[in-house]
Amino acid sequence: MPGMLQDAGREPRIGVYICHCGLNIAGVVDVEAVRESARFLQGVAVVRDNRYTCSEVGQKGIADDIKEFKLNRVVIASCSPRLHEKTFRTLMEKSGLNPHLLEMANIREHCSWVHYDDPVAATQKAKDLVRSSVARARLLQPLLRTKGQVLPEVMVIGGGVAGISAALYLGGMGIKTYLVEKEPSIGGHMAMLDKTFPTLDCSLCILSPKMVEVAECENIKILSYSQVEKVEGQVGNFRVQVRRKPRYVNEDKCVGCGDCVAKCPVKVNDEFNRNMGTRKAIYIPFPQAIPPAYVIDDENCRYLTQGKCKICQAVCQRGAIEFDQTDQTETIEVGAIIVATGFEPYDPRGLPEYGYGRFPNVITSLDFERLICADGPTYGKLKRPGDSTVPKRVAFIQCVGSRDQATGCAGYRLDGGTGSRGESTDPKPYCSRVCCMVTAKQAFMVKEKHPDAEVYVYYIDMRTAGKGFEEFYQRGRHEGIVFLRGRPGEVEEKEDGCLRIISEDLDSGCILDLTFDMVVLAQGLIPPGGLGELAQKMNLSRSEDGFLMEGHPKLRPAETAIDGIYLAGCVQFPKDIPDSVAQAGAAAAAAAVTCSKESIEIDPLGPVIDEALCIGCRLCEVLCPYGAIKVEFTDKGPKAKSIEVACKGCGVCGASCSTKAITMKHYTDSQLAAQVKAILEVV
Amino acid sequence: MESVRKKDVPVVTVLDPKFKYEVAREPGGENIKYCFQCGTCTSGCKVAELDSKYNPRKIIKMVILGMRERVLSGDFIWLCATCYTCHERCPQDVRIPEVMNALKNIAVREGYIHPAFRAQAELIAGHGRLYEIDELANEKRTDWGLTEIPQGCPEVAEIYGITGLFDLLSREVGGKT
Repeated sequence: MPGMLQDAGREPRIGVYICHCGLNIAGVVDVEAVRESARFLQGVAVVRDNRYTCSEVGQKGIADDIKEFKLNRVVIASCSPRLHEKTFRTLMEKSGLNPHLLEMANIREHCSWVHYDDPVAATQKAKDLVRSSVARARLLQPLLRTKGQVLPEVMVIGGGVAGISAALYLGGMGIKTYLVEKEPSIGGHMAMLDKTFPTLDCSLCILSPKMVEVAECENIKILSYSQVEKVEGQVGNFRVQVRRKPRYVNEDKCVGCGDCVAKCPVKVNDEFNRNMGTRKAIYIPFPQAIPPAYVIDDENCRYLTQGKCKICQAVCQRGAIEFDQTDQTETIEVGAIIVATGFEPYDPRGLPEYGYGRFPNVITSLDFERLICADGPTYGKLKRPGDSTVPKRVAFIQCVGSRDQATGCAGYRLDGGTGSRGESTDPKPYCSRVCCMVTAKQAFMVKEKHPDAEVYVYYIDMRTAGKGFEEFYQRGRHEGIVFLRGRPGEVEEKEDGCLRIISEDLDSGCILDLTFDMVVLAQGLIPPGGLGELAQKMNLSRSEDGFLMEGHPKLRPAETAIDGIYLAGCVQFPKDIPDSVAQAGAAAAAAAVTCSKESIEIDPLGPVIDEALCIGCRLCEVLCPYGAIKVEFTDKGPKAKSIEVACKGCGVCGASCSTKAITMKHYTDSQLAAQVKAILEVV
Repeated sequence: MESVRKKDVPVVTVLDPKFKYEVAREPGGENIKYCFQCGTCTSGCKVAELDSKYNPRKIIKMVILGMRERVLSGDFIWLCATCYTCHERCPQDVRIPEVMNALKNIAVREGYIHPAFRAQAELIAGHGRLYEIDELANEKRTDWGLTEIPQGCPEVAEIYGITGLFDLLSREVGGKT
């Protein structure tokens, strides 16, 4: 706005507004006392308190004061700037002030909420915070925002049902979308499921039409067998480095005839069938795979490991086998990113008392899906893995890894093997949300295939919140599935491979000592391996449970704290298919809003480098987590240069500069020093 | 097959998984499998108020689990006063008093008749009513100008024969005649 920079030269005239926030602040902090304490601070022209500063009335009061008292700085003591900084900056702009002449003191989250039990100290702290904000406000300088370009393209990371749905929404809006999937085919966990609750429709029958739609959508480019290596830039202009693993099969030439598979001499465990069946070294994960091309597993291919074979190349009539393929790294520029990398099923070897991995007839819920799927290792015949007999008595144990403070999801107790995948050993007591219905569905499927089978479900609580879920649970009970309230402590194997479970039935008060042919463990959902690294690459926060943190738990569930990066599906928290699809829609809409803008205003938070002081030591370059500072050679020697679009304003360069050549525009040393000095003042 | 381990907690190793279906087939027992053990029935039960041994929720769970003998041989199912309070309140429409009737019917067929009910049935068989009309009663009736009531009632016995009640009363546990 023209003229806004003129505020700088004038003596500070500060308006201070203390917010009651209803009783959120006023219930603890003596707001009137805080107001009076600020009245005679240097530079303060007017002090007021409002019941709700963010309300229309509150905002109008500030606008009027700016005119009446000729204010040129505003201090608002209220909630976190994350909530209303934008509101008040807009208000200042409308009133003709530079929006960066606003300073907020957080007297709610940092004061009344955390010190609710000590009103006197909370009031004192609020006074200190306001005094320090006024001290900084006196030194604030008007800043101009720069404009950044917006690329109308989006990258979706993760090709499960959430990623697929998001990509389809975006493609449908005419937005060019890159769908990055680390596996050879898109589809994710949903492609591994046999049926979906509560309708019992075949999972792939509903997913594969969407997968085909993705393949056919001209706006979507699938980057399968690929992983994100590096993310740079910011909203509107991200540069993503994607590493494409070699398939050794030309996707365009391969028609999926399968001649190569028939002749390939190497048989290995099939991970898509949870290692219960085998596949060849050249394979397609499942018949409906997209892209519908084969892939060579370079860890097991005889030619790639031992240097001879090439049978597949000899039999392929289309010449699609290309052993000379290598890792390719592509840099893709997009305006927004949707992270939809899903979950990982909890490995029940972390709970050795249940015997998974030791007893062949103890399986997980995902194993069960493959076992009962027509395309699975037994072609849909329910046979227990130990001896391929049909199980007549099946037990399901719920909450395996979920709701477990001690060893649960991500609380891997074992070292090595399973232990290495957990990124945190903190206990995670959350409920994985889907397992109750997964178990109800699977119990029902056993009954459907074998009506005479006895099916027991051990549970702690049945959680069936969802459309049609409770009705499905009721139907399961009516089919004769017995739900036993009480979590078993142990599974014992008998000589014949059958499994003994002793539990307390809380309803009847009896101890039940029962024997089953097969036990299915309802494994919880945990953050996928590598999520920590990905989060670090994108500067995303994770919540305590290890999943990615949403922008706001209620109002921004598909956004993140980083502009231009959105979340869809289980990467945010375990959820079922309809919820994943819904969140994918929300993320796609949010990404489309970003991409529909012609340009984006960038907050001027970056560094200013004084070339006269810079000695080119490169410390800032090494420390910058975003690659936003580079040392360039000039005729005056090596000098640091800021790359504004990549900068996120973290301040590491400014704090580390040994010659004080770097100043953070909106957080200058003098501003921060004044703030610290004021807060330490004894009054 | 129940043994007692540690005081009074029964340890159950053998269940009859077909029992719940058997009860569901019996008129009155159709909805038993819908029970999700909320406890509404027991909370309002007047009998449970007097004697905590009677717990309709627990009886239904024992049926679902398949504790056949324990349910059929016990006193519990005979204690229901059929006041229908639980029937009105049950959120799953289990119709508990009718489930109890279904269980009683099965129990009787299996030779588990509660002694109190056996005594009543035998009194009615012998006298045509729940109490005996003695000579004194008939004398009084004569004084008042009323006709005498016959002692014994062969028609009742005939009904017992036709309906099979005699047969049921003579059954041993396990259902053998």
